Amino acid sequence: MTINDGWLRDLGMELRRRGVPGGTADHVVAEAATHLRDSGEPPMAAFGPAGAYAAVVSDSVGAAWRRARRPAPGPMRLRARGIVKRYRRRDVLSGVDLTVHAGEVAAVIGANGCGKSTFLRICAGLISPDKGTVQVDGSIGYCPQDGGTIDFLRPEEHFVLVGGGRNWSRERSRAKGRAAAATLDWDASTPMLSRHLSGGTRQKLNLVMAGLSEPDVLLLDEPYQGFDRGTYLDFWEQVWRWRDSGRAVVVVTHMLNQLDLVDTVLDLSGANRERWS
Amino acid sequence: MRKLGVVADMTLREMLRRRGVLILLLALPLAFYVVRRNGYTGESIRALFLGLSWAISTAALFSASAGRAVEPRLRLSGYRSHHLYLGRLAALLVLGTGIAVPLLALVALDPAQDKVRTGGVALAMLLCVTVAAPFGLLVAALVPRELEGTLVLLVVVGMQMVVDPAGAGAKVMPFWSSREIGTYAVDHTGSGYLDRGLVHGVAFTLALALLVAVLSSYRLRTRSHMRFASGR
Repeated sequence: MTINDGWLRDLGMELRRRGVPGGTADHVVAEAATHLRDSGEPPMAAFGPAGAYAAVVSDSVGAAWRRARRPAPGPMRLRARGIVKRYRRRDVLSGVDLTVHAGEVAAVIGANGCGKSTFLRICAGLISPDKGTVQVDGSIGYCPQDGGTIDFLRPEEHFVLVGGGRNWSRERSRAKGRAAAATLDWDASTPMLSRHLSGGTRQKLNLVMAGLSEPDVLLLDEPYQGFDRGTYLDFWEQVWRWRDSGRAVVVVTHMLNQLDLVDTVLDLSGANRERWS
Repeated sequence: MRKLGVVADMTLREMLRRRGVLILLLALPLAFYVVRRNGYTGESIRALFLGLSWAISTAALFSASAGRAVEPRLRLSGYRSHHLYLGRLAALLVLGTGIAVPLLALVALDPAQDKVRTGGVALAMLLCVTVAAPFGLLVAALVPRELEGTLVLLVVVGMQMVVDPAGAGAKVMPFWSSREIGTYAVDHTGSGYLDRGLVHGVAFTLALALLVAVLSSYRLRTRSHMRFASGR
């Protein structure tokens, strides 16, 4: 394999990882190959690192493509109304509303301690609000910020445990879990116990568990803690795949660079509480 | 039944992989037995029962604490609360029986215990396990922090050790049944001790399991603010 071939292969992988569709990615790679052949320049001199060039291309064509492929929103899946939560006489959430339809992604943002995780746990039904209701049409998958896995079980055993709730066979649960893990560039067939996984890999496990039972509503509480850059991009690709398949996704995030790619933003910052689409 | 089986299987796998804990679970009743072995015959066997009960209830406490963070998301995955607590209880009963069997073999083969009723010892050990497992789960449900829960177990076992078994107060202690059946097995008393112990053990097992069921169902209930339009 020549230097050019290796660089072009990396470029193709990075483009796909960033969500650039196959045909467009192939076209970009072919154009780059033609340029390198005609100019005789080394790829690093002509384009720089493959990842950086893929980022530039992705920003120019990928984001526009993602917006273009958004399906029309479906029926309402999650509606939180007038959510109020107090901790020790302090209002953490005061009258928060959020509606998410099938095929939509909502981002919940705000400063540390503004109640993002609390709001998500209320939406998941894990804790009760002081006031307000949450209407859900369908099933819920929840991915916590940390924890949520069992230290002395292997990843595939976690899949069996989650799949068991849907009465799936063990083999079906394992197969679906492995396939979902592969989308995050992770081989989940490892015999390693959960407690020996790195923080980022454990979060991948958490994320796979949340989506494994194919819930209609996915509630993800900063699930990318510990992810490397590539996995972070894979994560957003997974979110868009869920959206495109008609799921309603709510992501607690403080990564503001992705907000132009979601459908609704709920800002829980105390002085700036607002919802914008 | 399938869901319950999956929970029990995974809980058991999780516990069996803690090799150090397994050794200690076996060592605790064994130490109680060995320390008292040179004294009165019955004392060593009664100490063994108490050590076994303490070990299993502690295992149940820590198992329940470890599962506390995962159970809510398992509820969302399609499990009902009874799948979760009954699955865990089943795993603990299997684990407890697995620990009791070699201890029973030890008593049966120990020349110093050649006159005891082995069947009575086996029954007492079985009741130790069936009472201790839900008792540990109950303590975990009432006292969510592990350290506090461990101290509660310590207080109960300590009281069980010093309380007068003939006194009225002893009958409200969870492990009184094994003491009564132990007396039947060691001292060759009439069947009154066996009957009282059996009734006490079964009643406590059922009552503790019921309390665990009530508390687990409440903790994992569908919250009143949730309105589901279709099946979960």
